[in-house]
Amino acid sequence: MHDYALHGLRPHSVVEPASAAELAETLRQAHERGLALVPWGGGTRQHVGRRPARYDLALATRRLNRIVAYHPEDLVVTAESGVTLETLQACLARHGQWLPWDPAHPERATIGGLLASGATGALRCGHTTLRDWTLGMRVALGDGRLVKSGSQVAKNVAGCDAHKLHIGAFGTLGVIAEATFKVAPLPEHFRSLIAVFTDPRLPVRAVDHLRAAPLQPVALVALNRPAADRIPALRTLLEGQPDHISVIARFAGTDLAVSRQVHEAERRCVSLGARIVAVPLKDDALLWHAISNTMAPTGDGSLLLRAGAPSSALGAVAGLLERVARRNGWVPAQIGIAPAGLIFSRWFTGLAGPEAVNQALLEARIELGVLGGYVVVEEAPPSLVGALDLWGPLPEGIDVMRALRARWDPAGILNPGRFVV
Amino acid sequence: MNRSQLIEELRHVVGPTGVVADPVALMTYDADGCVMDTGEPQVVVLPTSAEQVSAVVRLAARYGAPIVPRGAGTGLAGGATPIGGGIVVSTARMDRVLEIDARNGRVLCQPGVINWELSQLLKPYGYQFAPDPSSQKACTVGGNIANNAGGPHCLKYGITSSHVLGVQMVLPDGSIIWTGDGNPAPVGYDLTGVITGSEGTIGLVTAAWLRLTRLPEAVRVVLALFPDIAGASASVSQVIASGFLPAALEIMDRLAIKAVNDMYKLGLPEQAGAALLIEVDGVDDGLDELLADITAVCWRNGAIDVRPARTPAEQNQVWAARKNAFGAMGRLAPTYYLVDTVVPRTRLPYTMEQVGRISQEYRLPIANVFHAGDGNLHPIILFDRRDRSQNQRALEAATGVMHVSIEQGGVISGEHGIGVEKQDYMTLLFSTDDLAAMAGLHQSFDPYDLFNPGKVFPKGRGCGELAALRKAGVAWSELKTR
Repeated sequence: MHDYALHGLRPHSVVEPASAAELAETLRQAHERGLALVPWGGGTRQHVGRRPARYDLALATRRLNRIVAYHPEDLVVTAESGVTLETLQACLARHGQWLPWDPAHPERATIGGLLASGATGALRCGHTTLRDWTLGMRVALGDGRLVKSGSQVAKNVAGCDAHKLHIGAFGTLGVIAEATFKVAPLPEHFRSLIAVFTDPRLPVRAVDHLRAAPLQPVALVALNRPAADRIPALRTLLEGQPDHISVIARFAGTDLAVSRQVHEAERRCVSLGARIVAVPLKDDALLWHAISNTMAPTGDGSLLLRAGAPSSALGAVAGLLERVARRNGWVPAQIGIAPAGLIFSRWFTGLAGPEAVNQALLEARIELGVLGGYVVVEEAPPSLVGALDLWGPLPEGIDVMRALRARWDPAGILNPGRFVV
Repeated sequence: MNRSQLIEELRHVVGPTGVVADPVALMTYDADGCVMDTGEPQVVVLPTSAEQVSAVVRLAARYGAPIVPRGAGTGLAGGATPIGGGIVVSTARMDRVLEIDARNGRVLCQPGVINWELSQLLKPYGYQFAPDPSSQKACTVGGNIANNAGGPHCLKYGITSSHVLGVQMVLPDGSIIWTGDGNPAPVGYDLTGVITGSEGTIGLVTAAWLRLTRLPEAVRVVLALFPDIAGASASVSQVIASGFLPAALEIMDRLAIKAVNDMYKLGLPEQAGAALLIEVDGVDDGLDELLADITAVCWRNGAIDVRPARTPAEQNQVWAARKNAFGAMGRLAPTYYLVDTVVPRTRLPYTMEQVGRISQEYRLPIANVFHAGDGNLHPIILFDRRDRSQNQRALEAATGVMHVSIEQGGVISGEHGIGVEKQDYMTLLFSTDDLAAMAGLHQSFDPYDLFNPGKVFPKGRGCGELAALRKAGVAWSELKTR
């Protein structure tokens, strides 16, 4: 049985609403009584964010597990927030469709939790983020109002896109009851290739070449050796290679379009001096599943950073994160979602205290600032979580964000203290 | 308000050439593309920078004059109409492209940049700005952002909000903030997502990082002709349901064909009751196969001809006809009322039947030129506004289309916005709680209702209470249970 413990805190009770109305009623009562709550989906990303300032109730969404409406011919699906991503994808796949979104642990992670925590995956290269696939939501606000925004159709400009605010808000504006997505036809073919480079300057060029016309990879990542070694499927494929950085590209579409792109991608990488490792077709999905999982919090006591920067600066960002880590004697495992300008860097900080880690974070933030980027901590070792500056500087719109939160969560009961707002 | 003093102070901020106060010149600004409601502004100001906009906003607050942002004024819902007077802030002089950062797939623009000119500028780099509303030769990217504009190619590339990475905006308190700098997943709430489509009610965008979309390697365009609109609509529904993803699927019906046929020398046969414009794009390999699959669906649904537009010149001609079809309506009637609603794609054939019924019921011809692939209807009600009865019937027919669309699970606007045109229909879609939550969002940006007041939110019956709610930010449900 789950105890819903979080950063050493345990709730007094657990509520499991079975409908949107029950969810709203729970929030209304919590609002009246001033009970602080933590919305809880699959729990795969609860490590992200600070320790709650107060934690009275765990609000589990696991009984909100219905697919509310699915019209395959309209390419639109509505699901309750407690549906796991795997369940949703399986339902769509039966009709030859998918949601092109591949965050970690789809078998446990719920769509509500993934949306609320702004989860991402390698497919954002070709399909942007889930924000652009979300057509509408029903959300229970912090005072128990059950409200909707958006629609069930592909295009809508009636009313503001209030639902976008809940994506990546860590449940601080409301608890998602259900979400409506546009979905896409499942591509006929997926094929991937791995280009292995021993010269650390080349992967950056390879990434540029792999996204230049006419290539349109749906996923394009670069991993350093320690990151690749954490993926068993990849470790096997790369057995015996010297120290390396691998660039992995995935193409999707019709057979002809995919074949031509893979062929062209191979040619471009080889001309840069890469060794190409073919990914057996049967392993393609598994490999990407494993790659996504390396970007997720693990609870293994490591420090997981997420850095964002203009994609042209990604090589420099990877280099500076590596330098800062190595200066402290930590070996970073790094993976970059290249065209999106995101890097996940995992530092094994061991017994280092909060001063050393904060200092390293500060150095990284200053250097990243010069490159036009930022870094946040997605997961911290339990002993450090209360002592680190996880989110970095406040965003410019913070006053408006606070004013908004005061209106939608007037009693401040939703995940208090965990997010920047 | 002391108007002449305000004008003097505005001149001090933006310079004498940046202020329009002459009564005749002001008449140009009394409406946008939606001419059903008009209002005269006290003054129009044309700032050139965020700092100037900020100073203007502070002055407006001091004088108690509302701010009405305006791009090119091509909007169709009255979003830029100064219904209650005030200061119209035109972005016409903020028209510079500040940085093309092709390597990072983004461009930094001022809001007054013309949509089409931006795409022309990006062409040599191999990119485009994907949203392409039919007014793209005149409309500005600032207006596109305010209205979350669409266009034919939304079908594949998504609406404006998918192409705005972050903006610099002036808030109603005069402060200037960036909601993002184009980097992925910035910390905090997605303010970029709510400013897009907010119709000038929560802030004025003074610069924007926009996403670049790669120009496709290859493009194929065909026109499939049908004896009637039913076959064309059914084809669209089936193409979508079969999992094909064209770049655009646009329908023109018999009346629309009649309007554009001569003007654009399309040479379409008289017996064509509907034309379906199909565009596919992407990697060259496999494109012909995709197009063949799609045209096969058309043949199965009774197409009488499928005409490819082979050369770029031919393709441009077909697209020019499509995009200028609204203008060509002048050949058919003195006035038209363009309605914008959306239905699920499977409901298209039935909904188009209902539009035909509405045309008969209100005894007004209705032409249809629309983004069929998205289920986005554009019935064009043809009438003579000098005839009061026709005026009234046109409005009622439009309301009829909205009701049918909602009944079918759709919405009252797909891309034109709410503005003043549809504000009283918002209650058909949203509950009072929904609207109060949106009002709370609005109030957290604009507590004194300075920006574009009297728009978007319903003003009709029962909405005095809503206005009170917006002020108080209280949950409506609490009032109801009292």
